[in-house]
Amino acid sequence: MTSFQSTIGDEEGIAEELAEGQREISIAEFFEKNKHMLGFDSGARGLVTAVKEAVDNALDATEEAGILPDVYVEIEEVGDYYRVVIEDNGPGITKEQLPKVFGKLLYGSRFHTREQNRGQQGIGISAAVLYSQLTSGQPAKITSRPKGQSRAQYFELIIDTDTNEPEIKADEETTWDRPHGTRIELEMEANMRARQQLHDYVKHTAVVNPHARIELREPGLDEPLKFERATDELPAETEEIRPHPHGVELGALIKMLEATESYSVSGFLQEEFTRVGKKTADSVIDTFRDVHYGRELAWAPPRTHDDRDVEAAVADAVANKGKEATTAFAEGVAETVADNDRLARSELAAIVDNVAEAVASDTGRTFGATVRENAVAAAWAAITGIDPDADEPDGEALVPDVYALVDEATSTRKDDAIVEAMAEALARRFENLDGGAFRVTRDDLERLVADAASFVAEQHDATFGETARENVVEAFWSRARTVPDDPPKVSSIAGDRDAAADLLEAMRTTDILAPPTDCLAPITAELVEAGLRKEYDADFYAAATRDAEVHGGDPFIVEAGIAYGGDIPAEGAVELLRFANRVPLVYQRGACATTDVVKSIGWRNYGLDQPGGSGVPNGPAVISIHVASTNVPFTSESKDAIANVPAIEDEIELAVREAARELKSYLKKRRSMQQRREKQDVLGRILPEMADKVSEVTGRPRPDIDGALARIMNNVSVEREVRDGTVTLVVENHSDVTETLEVTDIVSAEPTDLSDGTVVAMDGEWFVQWKPEVPSGDERELTYSVADDADFEVSVGGVETEKLTVNA
Amino acid sequence: MTTDTDARDELIDLAADFYDQFAAGRIPELELPTRTKSNIEYDPESGVWTYGDRTSTRSANSVRGARKLLKAAYTIEFLADQLDADRSSTLRELYYLSESWDNDEAQFSSQDESNDLVEDLEIVTGVTREDFHMRPEESGATLMGPLELREQTRRGEREIHCQEDVGEGGYQIPNNPDMIEFLDDDIDFALAVETGGMRDRLVENGFDEAYNCLVIHLKGQPARATRRITKRVHDELDVPVAVFADGDPWSYRIYGSVAYGSIKSAHLSEYLATPEAQFVGIQPEDIVEYDLPSDPLSDSDVNALESELEDPRFQTDYWEEQIELQLDIGKKSEQQSLASRGLDFVTDTYLPERLDAMGVL
Repeated sequence: MTSFQSTIGDEEGIAEELAEGQREISIAEFFEKNKHMLGFDSGARGLVTAVKEAVDNALDATEEAGILPDVYVEIEEVGDYYRVVIEDNGPGITKEQLPKVFGKLLYGSRFHTREQNRGQQGIGISAAVLYSQLTSGQPAKITSRPKGQSRAQYFELIIDTDTNEPEIKADEETTWDRPHGTRIELEMEANMRARQQLHDYVKHTAVVNPHARIELREPGLDEPLKFERATDELPAETEEIRPHPHGVELGALIKMLEATESYSVSGFLQEEFTRVGKKTADSVIDTFRDVHYGRELAWAPPRTHDDRDVEAAVADAVANKGKEATTAFAEGVAETVADNDRLARSELAAIVDNVAEAVASDTGRTFGATVRENAVAAAWAAITGIDPDADEPDGEALVPDVYALVDEATSTRKDDAIVEAMAEALARRFENLDGGAFRVTRDDLERLVADAASFVAEQHDATFGETARENVVEAFWSRARTVPDDPPKVSSIAGDRDAAADLLEAMRTTDILAPPTDCLAPITAELVEAGLRKEYDADFYAAATRDAEVHGGDPFIVEAGIAYGGDIPAEGAVELLRFANRVPLVYQRGACATTDVVKSIGWRNYGLDQPGGSGVPNGPAVISIHVASTNVPFTSESKDAIANVPAIEDEIELAVREAARELKSYLKKRRSMQQRREKQDVLGRILPEMADKVSEVTGRPRPDIDGALARIMNNVSVEREVRDGTVTLVVENHSDVTETLEVTDIVSAEPTDLSDGTVVAMDGEWFVQWKPEVPSGDERELTYSVADDADFEVSVGGVETEKLTVNA
Repeated sequence: MTTDTDARDELIDLAADFYDQFAAGRIPELELPTRTKSNIEYDPESGVWTYGDRTSTRSANSVRGARKLLKAAYTIEFLADQLDADRSSTLRELYYLSESWDNDEAQFSSQDESNDLVEDLEIVTGVTREDFHMRPEESGATLMGPLELREQTRRGEREIHCQEDVGEGGYQIPNNPDMIEFLDDDIDFALAVETGGMRDRLVENGFDEAYNCLVIHLKGQPARATRRITKRVHDELDVPVAVFADGDPWSYRIYGSVAYGSIKSAHLSEYLATPEAQFVGIQPEDIVEYDLPSDPLSDSDVNALESELEDPRFQTDYWEEQIELQLDIGKKSEQQSLASRGLDFVTDTYLPERLDAMGVL
């Protein structure tokens, strides 16, 4: 800046002088100055980020090789520095690739693919290497043993920040006890102030990767933290996909058009995009035709009472074809035309072609292109009533047709004079369209109608409002015909920005199937729940996985899980776990779309406490949200927070609400169970006392109140009666729904004469089992005979214990 | 009159009812008329307001209902024992006595609860609480006038003349006025007076003597005994009854409960209400006519007046006219405001004029 100031008066040579100071900046140099962008803004955070990047890489590598991940993380104090070691059992990295993977920024395999991966840009681990060398001056120490090789390769390397190239300090063969895998050792200036975040990261990684085994050792831990595997199932392998037509931008489209080997638009669409087959390509192209060429307005052919005669006009236009052929031709055209309610010029041309072919095969007379053209022009003049040779359009010919459509499109309250005037104004404008085929794009049509409407408004001091105009446009557009012209070739669209924009619009407005999801590896609702179960001891778990949606051509899936109760602390706000492509997001919670969505939901509806009715709810709950996408939109390169993209926010909300609905019904049920239990407790105490009292007052023996009790408690009772060697279990259902029970009576002697049910002998005991279905308010008797001195033990399933009274 | 044995039998029958419901495997319940303003109806035969057809059920199906019925069972036992032993107790005593029951669940949480329960028992058994030997804490008010009666007391019979045998305080109405027998009287009409101050004024001015009037002191909202004796005086001695109260909505309710019966004890209206009783004043009309000192109506007064307009007991032309007039002028006056015209104005001018106009004199 100072150099600029000092030479400001001297205009000559400023540019040259400035140019001397202008040079290319190495990407490594850039990030050296912008560490915070990558999550290395402080020592505390740098440590967490380094672990995160290395673990993410480890998980990606093992999964890709179909290996169940086994990740080991160790943090050690080394003098004033910390040493971070991350080891995995992945497939290893070849000797040739290794220096570049770790020693070159923006080197990676994922940036150009549309596939769900943890890493995307190829920045993370090399940034950690860079951070380590900048703060400690030590090279990164990397050992890798590719699968199948007997020895491992050991490297020490640093990144040359001027060139963004790895500089190898040591390169030797070594032995390693792991059969395959990679180990990276980084020394850096750091501190453990972010211990909590580190633990959260590792724990949450375990929640969301139930197939991984992770171990963490750090100076503050007496025992290593071990997270065991909850499933042996690897996440589904992801497929790379082509972009989706709904998600490309104009610049990208033009680049693709330039690069493609396809010749036709149809081929291009089918080759380069996902979910586009012949049919979809055709409908995109039809939309493209409408956008690019416009449609042809269609007119009603003359009816018999009109003085315009298609047949005569065609006959006149044909010369030297003989009377018979001419008549057949003219009749054929006139008849086919009359069969149509409306016709566009291109349709007329097709009719003329067809009839010409037919007449030619009947009579042997050929109708050449010129004859056909003349015939089309003559028939078209007869249909529209417009003389193509007239110098000035008469402006009257189209009025009846236009009037009919305008009248139909406008409300009946519209003054007929206004409709008439509008029809005349529009007809004049249509007649002025170039080319005689009445080709018009929707935009132009809208403009014409608006123009005519304002003319009418001015002339007749009447309003022709927006809705009326839209209706008129729609009336004409829906009756206009898509033109049969072939779309331009790919190469010419690539060179024509407007045409490319038209194609993009056509792609976006055509309905196309959502992208395939095999490029994504959602955790699945089942495993989201398993992950929560593994790390949180709760009373209730729910999870939901949404269907894939598209944002910017990238498909994404949102999953949500909720754990409630149990050991989760009841005080304070609920814990929110955020994940993107199976990576826990630890920092910038407040800037994240997931947090915003959770705050915006009215949790009181779902049974959670939410002070003020908005914000993060309180209570013993954990909410976990996972966004999986081929390209997760983050707020920054450090990948801490998901950006507020409306399409993604909507899906997050739906997923969370889906899981929350289950929570709600659980909480409701729990509350009603609790009330039922309380009621049972109180009534179970009061009613016997009341019975005692009334028997005392009346001087009668204590009444049997079991029936009343069962009825009051709205429940299902199972009672045993034993009389003369016959055991009867009476099942009474006092609830208001049909109950299906599983009654198992374990008897010490062999039972006989079973009333249905089954009996199984085992170790000198007999298991008698029934599955009675008892309608509300009904009862069933289950009987068998047995020796008098038999012992019984009954167990009843199929009914919630709170509803069950067993007296047997 | 219900004998003690009858009363006891009714109670035991109710307990037996519960017993039978239990024995039949059913949930014990008690059906009672709904005790709200919307469920009182005019009975043209007796001319009083009684409960309508709507009923509500106390069922042991809920925790609340079960507690109520348990308390009922305990109270039945207590009342039956009390009748056996020929003892009596006050409603308040019942409330405290429940503390001694062996069951916490059966104890009353407030006196309103025990009062309500006793009323419930009255309704189902058809026996009045007096016949259960239950009395209110504060007994009935007083009588002053040319009436001779015989009272059956626990200490023997007493013959009393309500002018000659009593002091200035008058004759104290017993809790169960059915223990009284009227012997002789020289009464032309009975005047039920709301406030003690006005009652004393009438006695001091010798109104009872001058007009052969039985002055009944209502003491605010009248106790059942006061209403019962008013009805007996009217029915048995065949004299007109007039009610003299303040000119505000609360006093109209006092008149309403004397004349039509109260909502809470509508099951006893036939026994307590005197439908022929007339309202002397202070009428809203009087406030205007005599230009009485007045206070503005408060919001609660206005609400009370409006709710009276919807009260079926007050839906007569007379009351609608008076209440609407009062809402219109926005004023209320006390009985004592008549003193603004001199201490004798009430006995010399106001009452003679009003009673004459009403056809009582």
